[in-house]
Amino acid sequence: MLVSMLAIEARNSFFLASSLQLPASIRVSRTTNVLLHFHFSSLRQMNFALKFATLEISRRAIRLAKKKGRFLTGLISVVFTTSLLIVAGCDGSASVEEPNEMVLRHVLYTRIKGLDPGNMRDVYSVIVGSQIFESLYQYHFLKRPYELVPLLAEDMPQISEDLLTYTIRIKKGVYFQDDRCFTGGKGRELKAEDFVFSLKRVADIKYLSQNWSIFDNKIVGLDEFREYTKNCSSAEDVDYSRQVEGLTAPDDYTLVIKLKKPPQDGQAHWPQLCTALADISTAPVAKEAVDYYGKDIISHPVGTGPFKLNVWRRGSYIELVRNPAFRGELYPSEGEDGDAEAGYLDDAGKPIPFADRVLWTIINERQPAWLLFLQGKVDATVIPKDSFDEVMTGTGELTPEMKQRNIRLKTFRDPSTYWVGFNMADDVLSRNKPLRRAISYAIDREKFIELFFNNRHLVAHGLIPPVMPSYNPGIKEKGYTRYDPEKAKELLKEAEKIHGGTLPRLKIAMPGTDTWYRQFGQFLKRNLDTVGLEVEMQYMDRPTYQERVNTKSAQMFSSGTSASIPDAQDFLSMFYSKYQTPGRNKFNYSNPDFDRLYEKAQVLPDSGERRRLYQRMELIALEDCPAALLNHRVAYVLHHDWYKNYKQHAFAYGLSKYRRIDMAKRTAYKN
Amino acid sequence: MSEHQQIMKEVPQPVPKGRLRRAQSSRSLWADGLRRLRRHKLAMVCSAVIVLYFLLAGSIHLAELCGWRVGPMLWAEQVGQSYEPPSSTNLLGTDIFGQSVLRKTLYGAKISITVVLCASLVSIAIGVPLGAVAGYFRGFVDEIIVWIYSTLSSIPYILLILAFAVVLRDKSLLGYKLTGITAVYLAIGLTSWVGICRLIRGEVIKHKDREYVLAAMSYGCSRRRIIFKHLLPNVFHLVIIDFSLRFVAFIHAEVILSFLGLGEADRPSWGAMINDARIELSRGVWWQMVAATAAIFLLSLALNIFGDALRDSLDPKLTNDQNKYE
Repeated sequence: MLVSMLAIEARNSFFLASSLQLPASIRVSRTTNVLLHFHFSSLRQMNFALKFATLEISRRAIRLAKKKGRFLTGLISVVFTTSLLIVAGCDGSASVEEPNEMVLRHVLYTRIKGLDPGNMRDVYSVIVGSQIFESLYQYHFLKRPYELVPLLAEDMPQISEDLLTYTIRIKKGVYFQDDRCFTGGKGRELKAEDFVFSLKRVADIKYLSQNWSIFDNKIVGLDEFREYTKNCSSAEDVDYSRQVEGLTAPDDYTLVIKLKKPPQDGQAHWPQLCTALADISTAPVAKEAVDYYGKDIISHPVGTGPFKLNVWRRGSYIELVRNPAFRGELYPSEGEDGDAEAGYLDDAGKPIPFADRVLWTIINERQPAWLLFLQGKVDATVIPKDSFDEVMTGTGELTPEMKQRNIRLKTFRDPSTYWVGFNMADDVLSRNKPLRRAISYAIDREKFIELFFNNRHLVAHGLIPPVMPSYNPGIKEKGYTRYDPEKAKELLKEAEKIHGGTLPRLKIAMPGTDTWYRQFGQFLKRNLDTVGLEVEMQYMDRPTYQERVNTKSAQMFSSGTSASIPDAQDFLSMFYSKYQTPGRNKFNYSNPDFDRLYEKAQVLPDSGERRRLYQRMELIALEDCPAALLNHRVAYVLHHDWYKNYKQHAFAYGLSKYRRIDMAKRTAYKN
Repeated sequence: MSEHQQIMKEVPQPVPKGRLRRAQSSRSLWADGLRRLRRHKLAMVCSAVIVLYFLLAGSIHLAELCGWRVGPMLWAEQVGQSYEPPSSTNLLGTDIFGQSVLRKTLYGAKISITVVLCASLVSIAIGVPLGAVAGYFRGFVDEIIVWIYSTLSSIPYILLILAFAVVLRDKSLLGYKLTGITAVYLAIGLTSWVGICRLIRGEVIKHKDREYVLAAMSYGCSRRRIIFKHLLPNVFHLVIIDFSLRFVAFIHAEVILSFLGLGEADRPSWGAMINDARIELSRGVWWQMVAATAAIFLLSLALNIFGDALRDSLDPKLTNDQNKYE
């Protein structure tokens, strides 16, 4: 790629030179036009086009100056255009790679927003940020079911008898990366006070963190601190030394967090505190960095992690390099069954990170990313839908071509569920359970998965996906999502009686207008046509769709969600009546029994009892049928065989430190 | 000498004796053009193809009105497994849902031809009067109209159509809701009148000083009468030629809009078929693509040849080969 860039550059300089020598202005501008046209084919090349445009302008300016004798005007124009030319010349070509450096090469499908952990919500920023910042806890890389282990904390927290006070000891000898915001440019040691500062910062309303909802009404005194910041006139006026009772640092290496007592409706007690402390939004940031960089901190991350930011060209690429001040960590030496055979334990006990640099190229289209992968310039990729047959045979194996390239396939059960939701605030649907069930019985999910996911996904028999600890293995026998068109027809007759006449044409909102959604829509329509139910598919762009769903004006809608923590809460909170739209409960579902169990389960620590409550709640929801569940996703990823320790993880992002490249194999790869 | 006489002088007179009298008697521009067109064999074949397409589209409209369940109307029926290759039972294979691609292709003619006709009518209804008015009045009126169409034509065509289609979608006009396909032909019509407007304006400017217009003026005809009764009939052959050539561009615009997901959502159209095929091609399913492109190709080719022949015969001065038609 670099070579071709250079070639283009050389070609352009040639054209630059030749167009300078052409005396007739018409000929020059024609050449320029042709070149402009030619070069607009790609955004990067627009840069060159700009050069020609500026050249043309400057040439005309000189001519004008000569003709009219307006020397000064001409001079100014020339200076201006020359500076434009220089600006246009600065383009983001990647720095040259050392031959023996271990570089992880990834693709990001969209540009990232910012690298400030306190205000980071989009998944791509989290992917990059998690290599730079660390939180108190992390998920064990290899063990399944998912397990939390200490990262910046010394050990798991000591929890008081009443489950309200968490005392967390913090590792000694953790240093922030070297940065000019510290005196002398040398990173200082991490203290418990940094955590207090970072959490207060999220609470600070002047900072406008998107992560506040995680801590809302949970920690003693933090909500009052937020109230106080409302009254401050500006962000600079907020006094971070102000005490928050539930957030203290008795000494440099101890952090104490006090949770609010559960009030009557049981809304505040928070057994998932530790999972929140594994989230990047709780990663400590240095006060020095916040003060020094101000608003610019989103592009100047100062963390404690194994990598630090080297270059970030927005819209082009991001490069991290190994953080020399990193305290060091060891590769885990135990995992789940089969990890040793899969080679995940080959590096057990070795110091991490392995890689010297991590590079993300930003490529918006899947197809070019796929081609880069085939060329060996990217280590791993998802399979683009369109290239599925190029990669896989009908039996679910890699094609010989892929095998010959030593490409490996990983399947991974994503903790996600997809459905066609019913709006329970809609008159027709809400009082007609047989209608909702008929729709659910009318959908042939196996056919759906066969046609649209190449048989990859799993049929959703229940709400909670099989990888979750609270999955109910007996849910399939309940038959809530079986395909039974005859039963559906019977139920429809019943539904007509309840409705008091012929059913109106139902409308299903689809969050996209492309082929995939259109075919999916046709599939649903055909299924429902078969049982004699008329529906209208409404294809719309995502903002319109979200607006319709959030204003309760979509009758039925296609959507889905995946878990962000290893707990089924993400799936069940969608049916809690207090979270109705615009909250998470897009179904506007409400059932007092469900609510009671939800409130009861919310304050329980993860235990058998909590899981049993989850399963009961799941059954209540399925019985009421607020959604026709469709499928659980199974992700397929491909990687080159030089990319080691590439075990999939549903919840953790800071995994680049575990990855290793087999340099000999990479060098030997021929595309 | 009127333009017509001028043309007659330039065109060599027919030799056969039987037709001598007819040739000498005065013929209108149209009769003359048609006579020349009729001798062009290929053009006649093409016109037959075009008529067939139109008949197909018309009969589907009729079948839909009467609720007949035959042939292409049954496109939604499942006739086989998903993605069956072409065979003797399914001539053009099946799509993802096991629907017959042949039926879908035939049905697609209806959407495409309806779109093209409606879009053409919209664009002619806007472009022709504007062009005639601009050309006749010149001055301030002309400047305004030229300014409008110059601005419009400076915006990339596809972007403009897209913008119109997106804006018009799900809006209602005079109490009538603009669904997918209506929005498409309005969008195409509203964006494509520039060419015809320019053409008519230029032609009207040329004709304005001709004797027959001066004569009409000297009789004291109203401006409206001069424009619509005298000028327009004399330049209207250009509209027909332009229409026949533009037809193809409109079909393509419909295909592109459907391809981008802005066209007909639930019923098959050629654009939607090509859009589906884009994904299916990588799994080796080529028949939808081939069927839709072949349908478009045949119609485009027929229209192009017919349009060229029509232009040559109605406007013989323009022809590349003067001796071709005599």
